[in-house]
Amino acid sequence: MSDPRPVFRHIGRPVPRQEDDRLLRGYGAYVDDLPEPPGTLYLGCVRSPVAHARILSIDLAEALQMPGVVAGYTAADLTPSIRTMEPDRPKPGYKATFRDVMPTDRVRYVGDTVAVLLAEDPYLLEDALETVFVDYEALPVVVSIEDAIAEGAAAVHDDIEGNIPFAGEYKTEGFDAVFASAHLVVKDTFRSARMAGVSLEPRGVMASYDKGKGALTLWSSTQIPHLLQASLGELLDMAESRIRVVAPDVGGGFGIKAHVYPEEVIAAALARRHGGTVKWIGDRQDDFVTSTHARDYRYDVEMALAQDGTILAVRNRLHVNIGAYACFPFGSSAEAGGGAIYLPGAYKFAHYAYATHSVFTNTAPVGVYRGVAAPIAHFAQEGLIDRAAAALGIDKLEMRRKNLVQPEDLPFTNAAGITSDTQSHAACLEQALAAIDYDGFRRDHPRGEIRDGKRYGIGIACITEHTGQGASRYRTRGLHRVPGFEGATVRMTADGRLVAAVSQSTQGQGHLTVFAQIIAEHLGIDPSAISVEEGDTATTPFGSGTFASRAAVVAGGAVFRASEALAAKLKRIAGHHLEVAPEDVELVDGEARVAGSDMTMSFRELAAIAHSLEARPLPDGEEYGLESRAFYDPPNVSIANAVHAAVVSVDVGTGRVAVERYAVAHDCGRMINPMLVAGQVHGGVAQGIGEALMEAVVYDEDGQLLTTQLLDYLLPSTCDIPDITMAHIESETDATLGGFKGAGEGGVIGAVPAVAGAVNDALGETGAFVNQLPLRPETILALLRPVAD
Amino acid sequence: MTGDKIDISVTVNGRRYRRAVEPRRLLADFLRYDLRLTGTHVGCAHGVCGACTVSIDGRTARSCLTFAVQVDGAELETVEGLAPDAELSAIQAAFHRNHALQCGFCTPGFLMAARQLLAETLTPTEEEVRTALSGNLCRCTGYVNIVRAVMSAAEDLRANREASHV
Ligand code: FES
Ligand code: FES
Repeated sequence: MSDPRPVFRHIGRPVPRQEDDRLLRGYGAYVDDLPEPPGTLYLGCVRSPVAHARILSIDLAEALQMPGVVAGYTAADLTPSIRTMEPDRPKPGYKATFRDVMPTDRVRYVGDTVAVLLAEDPYLLEDALETVFVDYEALPVVVSIEDAIAEGAAAVHDDIEGNIPFAGEYKTEGFDAVFASAHLVVKDTFRSARMAGVSLEPRGVMASYDKGKGALTLWSSTQIPHLLQASLGELLDMAESRIRVVAPDVGGGFGIKAHVYPEEVIAAALARRHGGTVKWIGDRQDDFVTSTHARDYRYDVEMALAQDGTILAVRNRLHVNIGAYACFPFGSSAEAGGGAIYLPGAYKFAHYAYATHSVFTNTAPVGVYRGVAAPIAHFAQEGLIDRAAAALGIDKLEMRRKNLVQPEDLPFTNAAGITSDTQSHAACLEQALAAIDYDGFRRDHPRGEIRDGKRYGIGIACITEHTGQGASRYRTRGLHRVPGFEGATVRMTADGRLVAAVSQSTQGQGHLTVFAQIIAEHLGIDPSAISVEEGDTATTPFGSGTFASRAAVVAGGAVFRASEALAAKLKRIAGHHLEVAPEDVELVDGEARVAGSDMTMSFRELAAIAHSLEARPLPDGEEYGLESRAFYDPPNVSIANAVHAAVVSVDVGTGRVAVERYAVAHDCGRMINPMLVAGQVHGGVAQGIGEALMEAVVYDEDGQLLTTQLLDYLLPSTCDIPDITMAHIESETDATLGGFKGAGEGGVIGAVPAVAGAVNDALGETGAFVNQLPLRPETILALLRPVAD
Repeated sequence: MTGDKIDISVTVNGRRYRRAVEPRRLLADFLRYDLRLTGTHVGCAHGVCGACTVSIDGRTARSCLTFAVQVDGAELETVEGLAPDAELSAIQAAFHRNHALQCGFCTPGFLMAARQLLAETLTPTEEEVRTALSGNLCRCTGYVNIVRAVMSAAEDLRANREASHV
């Protein structure tokens, strides 16, 4: 463990991003912006229009005659040369799961790929795709959780009985007795919508095969270049050393792009087969149909309380609709496993039981999306606290204050067995209440008041965010395809400049800037002078990728460690030549300086010595070069926390909910760059407001997707998101290098329960509570109707 | 289906281009693939997201809903034309200072829309900024810093104008 560094010069400053300049000038290079090599072929996928069917025949004859079409393949042609993906290996609770990138026998959702075409031009490709004829024999379809788990339901995969590939159970000792003796039990069924992540850039991939070298380069809009490289090697039976994956600029990911997709594998396979470049760019409809969906949970939750409002025990029965296939690399259990352990969150009840299940259906695969199951876990928990407060006649805030984990409880192991050394719920609560002016709101809006046709409500949500999970955490969770650690190389070039390569890939989080700040801190040079690279497997060390709020903690730790080692070496070389002990050397403003003297050596001189480019030698035993590589595997998990406060208005005539004001008090440990932390929270809150109020992917009972464009799937716009007031608390933790915790997901985790709670508050004396998202006008009107009648 | 190509002549960011295009070629594709001006992005191709916003004869338009043949003879401006010199424009600089971009995919569209608004007024209210940008979607920023950046750019431009009047 390194010494805490009490005074920071670069960490903690709101440094504007080094990423911005080229993006602002329109010089970003997203995958579809990269120049195509001559002869590039465009890949088009023939998607199943039916949710569950046997494939009887596929006729490509007419398509192959169309202008510009070069080749066409059915699943029967291609699939035998590509290994089956195996996201889950069997173990207790987990069944083995499989997915062919193109199914040969039957399709399992609208969007499965049954054939592909290659053409010289994207317009001609579209023309040809329309001429492909596929004959299907319909099979029974299961769409909802209830359909899929009903007795006698059709099996989505023949070897998975009951459509449940993963189930888990847990109960604290003595749970039943405590639950049975409680004064009050409140319960409800909480449902989220199915959602789409909708990165503004849809997915896309370009694969080039060099026949001479037998080497593949694949540019993909992905969050996991290293894991993608490994899977391509496995699925195509190629050595990883022959595969280079590059994530260029990526236009948002949010977890959706943290999966390996069939199009990536197919493009690579066809580039190899044709010995050239194959490019596939998804459009928005492809994105809605084939990119992983998110959420789609049913939480049946019961909360047992004492008369004074103390929460005694919680029982959580959870089902997750994971669609037609388990996703790679997270497998079938990421959502169901997460939803089970996120629930105790900020509260210190001692008894908890869960039974959790993943359920296959004939819908698009559901994968990880910002917040994973946590927003709805907190929606359920905060919702039950509101119900209990009403039933017991206790103030809602009082209920929360009574049950929150307090500073004196730390370090705290919650009822799901998650330990954390720092949490600041009570402090965050007071700051959030002040920021939103809770008392002022209560004064101005008497309960039950309708002003200008609107009711007003205020909602408070106290949440935790599981960030920076390490290798040990992924192993306990059974996610054996997720490594958990990250790596970084920090190097001084022979001219004395600093470069770094990190195992992450960025989708806009500002990694390059924050990693430069960490390096700057150790090397004493301005962050703007440090260039950081990510996303290219040829130049960056192996690591897991960007998801689950891990970059700052895990890759940040690797950068921290590599920078420390490089700084130490520079001090040793400088100390040797300045004839002082290395401890007496400090690195400031691009030079090594003997503390308290005017003796200095510039980085240029030190670099020249280390690269043997001048007369002065390296000290004995010192290696040439100035390069330091480090890997970091953090402890299990780092718990960040926040309190969100939302004020909403509910139009009693139209049922429309509007978020009027919003405040967040947020604690992600030591912040590297508070401006970027706020940006992460803002974006998450907007996604949470979308999740709470408008976003929903809809299938009909035949498994037809009804929301295939942005006209059908509503995203929040500038008029739906108010300004957001932020307060930061930085709890000191020495559990992670640098004391960093993640900040990527807290925004969405807090916004869903805060907005839902505000609507509960607005419904006030009607006694209605929301339990189903999104809270669209028709839902709200139905809740208000009994009052009106 | 394919059709005969039509000759068009168009000025983009001050440079004149003559090209032969199919009637069905979208302006967005023409800019991105024929002229290799890839700063203009396509997020939906249905006129909803605004990522493809460009300026045609001084008015913003969706290049995903416009055919290249429709701009024959027109003057276009795209994001690449906003900062011809080394310096970022006032709006771009305000986006940088205020952290108004994350992945940057929506940014060109927002910059073009914001420029149109500030060409009309340098004293917009926050409400007016929100309305003017309501046809552009961003999935990363929650709009908070975008709105702040446009307000701040308006202030800078006002200060500049006053300075240039003294
Ligand atoms: S791409 Fe033109 S509006 Fe979305
Ligand atoms: S910055 Fe990513 S969509 Fe706006």
